[in-house]
Amino acid sequence: MPDPIRVLVVDDEDRFRTTLVKLLGAQGLFAEAASGGEQALALLAEKPFDVVLLDVKMPGESGQEVLPRIKAVAPGVEVLILTGHASVDIAAEMIAGGAADYLLKPCPLDELVGCVRAVYDRRKAVGAG
Amino acid sequence: MKAETPRADPASAAGEPASPPAGKNRPLWLHLVGLPGVTAVAVLSAMVLPIPLAVILALFTASLAAWSAAALASRIRTSEQERCSLDAQLVQSQKLAAIGEMSAGIAHEINNPMAIIAQESDWMTHLMSQPQVTPENLAELRDSLAEIVRQVDRCKAITHNLLNFSRKMDPILQQEHLERIMEDMVLLVEKEAKLQGVSIVRDYDPELAAIQTDVPLLRQVVLNLLLNAFQAIPGQGTITVSTRPAGADRVAIAVADTGAGILPENMSKIFNPFFTTKPPGVGTGLGLSMCHGIVDRLGGAITVESEPGRGAKFTVTLPR
Amino acid sequence: MSIRILVVDDEPDFIETMVKRFTFRKMPVTAAPSGIAALKLLEAEPFDVVIMDVRMPGKDGIETLKEIKKRYPLTEVIMLTGHASVESGMRGMSLGAYDYVLKPVDFDELLEKVRKAHERKLLNEGRNAPR
Repeated sequence: MPDPIRVLVVDDEDRFRTTLVKLLGAQGLFAEAASGGEQALALLAEKPFDVVLLDVKMPGESGQEVLPRIKAVAPGVEVLILTGHASVDIAAEMIAGGAADYLLKPCPLDELVGCVRAVYDRRKAVGAG
Repeated sequence: MKAETPRADPASAAGEPASPPAGKNRPLWLHLVGLPGVTAVAVLSAMVLPIPLAVILALFTASLAAWSAAALASRIRTSEQERCSLDAQLVQSQKLAAIGEMSAGIAHEINNPMAIIAQESDWMTHLMSQPQVTPENLAELRDSLAEIVRQVDRCKAITHNLLNFSRKMDPILQQEHLERIMEDMVLLVEKEAKLQGVSIVRDYDPELAAIQTDVPLLRQVVLNLLLNAFQAIPGQGTITVSTRPAGADRVAIAVADTGAGILPENMSKIFNPFFTTKPPGVGTGLGLSMCHGIVDRLGGAITVESEPGRGAKFTVTLPR
Repeated sequence: MSIRILVVDDEPDFIETMVKRFTFRKMPVTAAPSGIAALKLLEAEPFDVVIMDVRMPGKDGIETLKEIKKRYPLTEVIMLTGHASVESGMRGMSLGAYDYVLKPVDFDELLEKVRKAHERKLLNEGRNAPR
């Protein structure tokens, strides 16, 4: 059996985070959560993750500010932006900053999982090739 | 903070084999469309899905248009005739900018609780698809259901606030002392504040004569400012409420806190609808913009001064 | 002109004191032990000012206030509360309460508020009246 995809959910909304971790777990992925940028960076420095699901609007450091720091700590990790903030400008900016894709909340679970698997597979293909 | 230079070419960094050589001058939106269909679907579904949102938006847009038009009408009236069309254009572009900002705010505020509702439903579906419903599962089902109800209430609070916002209320003017208007609201906040180590200092001018104003509307402003001050103080601190004459024909009330203060970059946004620095679920970001709207209707003005780290002071000046 | 006052509270002692004091000042007052009872009374006869406790079993003060303001927007409501809750105060004021007052309340002050609330109702009616 292949290793499960390791996902880190970064979101300041408690309930969103915890339920998403449970849902991803039920889908056969390994998920952990961080309530903000600092906690996420600490976790990323501690252990490897494949995909980070990153919120944009958070108190303290915003997703935009955290993104380059994530890429610095864990250059190999794929970052998916998952936010309720409907700004195409910010999305484009973050994708230019190295994020793999942008999803708008509320995002259906199968779409989200599909997207996580897609960026994971793509990364693996690059790694192997 | 040492910022790593972001990779200049996202498409090749992500190793997208099928994509054409991604030029830097490719329009930004193409980055989105070019990415795996998910993005487009997500953006599209967000445009199609929330039907009530469209209703709210329409409602809000209408009220906003009326509001801005009224506020700016006086400006146009006083201006030179030849400048009229220029002003009207300005009004129009300001209106459009405000609507854009507001719709993004509404979308964000409603999308977040909706996302939680969607997830809880997914989790409930997952639990119910299990071959057996254990007592633990049942407890989780109940918990998810309760969370859904909570989040619906959160959405409801937002839409109801919007409706209040757009409800046209002509002020009813009554003679009343400012101190009297403020004190009931201060007492209401004081108990809760005291429990959290926040004391309230009264600095009322005893000489100040009664003014003509809409009493319950002004009370709403005072309560909002007090709550705002209270929430701005992380630990112990002080809120100072004061009344003063402001020239011959105006009076001023002020609510000052010893909280974190407002960052300079946020000063210009502080009265915008949906602008908030509070954690999710705490407040709707409508409080101060509502204050602004009410004070405007009362013929007054609301201003804020703040030094980061040294608290903030909101001052409302009103006609006597 | 006399003010038609309705006092709503589930505490019989409080109601008794209120009725005594208003009656002593020759002001007509009616009492209701619950939000539902208050709404029934309002259906039968008009009142100018409602003085209502926030915390009541069954339909609480906030729910009743919402209902009153929906059906009789000109009737003014003064909310009384024994437990200072800012959240509930915000809701009450934004639902159109005239005031939100912490118990115990000085009767003379309450009387002044009732007069002011009534004045507001008259002003409101004057404006709505056809000319």
